[in-house]
Amino acid sequence: MAGGAVPEAGGGRGRKKKALDAVVNVVPAIDLLSCCIAFLLFTAVWTQISRLQAQQMGPSGAPPTAEQQKQLQVTVSLTEKGLFLSTSAGMALDIPSLGRSPEGGPVYDVKTLAQKLKQLKTEYPDQSAVTVASEDAVLYADLVKVIDTCVGAGLSAIAVTAAG
Amino acid sequence: MSIVAPGKRPAPRFEKSKVLGGKIRKGRKSTNAELNVVSMVDMMTMLVIFLLQQFSATGEILFMQKDIRLPGAEHGQAIEVAPVVAVSTQVVAVTGQKVADVAELDRDSYLNIPALEERLRDEKKRWDFIHQNDPDREKNWKGDVNIQADVKVPFRLVKRVMFSAAQAGYFNVNFATLDVASGLAQALEKK
Repeated sequence: MAGGAVPEAGGGRGRKKKALDAVVNVVPAIDLLSCCIAFLLFTAVWTQISRLQAQQMGPSGAPPTAEQQKQLQVTVSLTEKGLFLSTSAGMALDIPSLGRSPEGGPVYDVKTLAQKLKQLKTEYPDQSAVTVASEDAVLYADLVKVIDTCVGAGLSAIAVTAAG
Repeated sequence: MSIVAPGKRPAPRFEKSKVLGGKIRKGRKSTNAELNVVSMVDMMTMLVIFLLQQFSATGEILFMQKDIRLPGAEHGQAIEVAPVVAVSTQVVAVTGQKVADVAELDRDSYLNIPALEERLRDEKKRWDFIHQNDPDREKNWKGDVNIQADVKVPFRLVKRVMFSAAQAGYFNVNFATLDVASGLAQALEKK
């Protein structure tokens, strides 16, 4: 039944030649593959969940170290009006929202934020810390989007705090 | 009368018919048929390769819940084992057990969630007990907590969860997101 190939009958004049092809029994291979498929289907993880790491700032979080205090302080604030990017070097940039989403919240202009953060990263290549300050009404999805944009721009040491 | 082997045979009037008589006629065609299984083995091999690519040795740390829709992120890291605080628009739960109702939390004005803090303190005590013989226990404590929140949860609730976690000793917060790099995340986001 399970033959890989049908061997050719040896031809020739009178003398019988041995067949060159051999029948490979693939039944054990099928058994093994079936077991593998069953096991892998059973243990498969279909949803790829990742994490965005953040530290806490404010009264409950760990206090900033002396090195952190010397570094440039970059803050991205999420407000009802839009995003606000500021640094301890004096930069203050307002990025207004693009409108309102169907849920009622503002649609943040994360593309502009990404561009500005990349510019900042080129100016300060050693900078990796950023503080994300959010207002109470901001949705979790928007917070994650902004944190993701910061990580994408190379600012991976995120601290989250409440705005105001 | 001659002895005839039992079995189906065509009626006398069909014996000479090529169409009807031939179907029941025995002994001419072999009943064994060669099946070509090579294509089946090929298909199974491809399936095994695909499933091996999907395989994750860590297993599922976070379980998808009906009332929690995770946001997508492009630059997320692999998730690690840590206590999971699930925050939906209705309840707050720690490792599957409900600790608070969101409606009740909205009524009070405290910043922390006492039941959540208590549960996380218990989790930390458990970790301390497991690592009681470890001399570098304090150094090895990372204080990670996974927050699995719904996209529509406001920050005021996330803030309270984070504050409670910090009170219990968990300062590093991992926000759970769907990996947008995988096509499935985009499909789930659209849904």
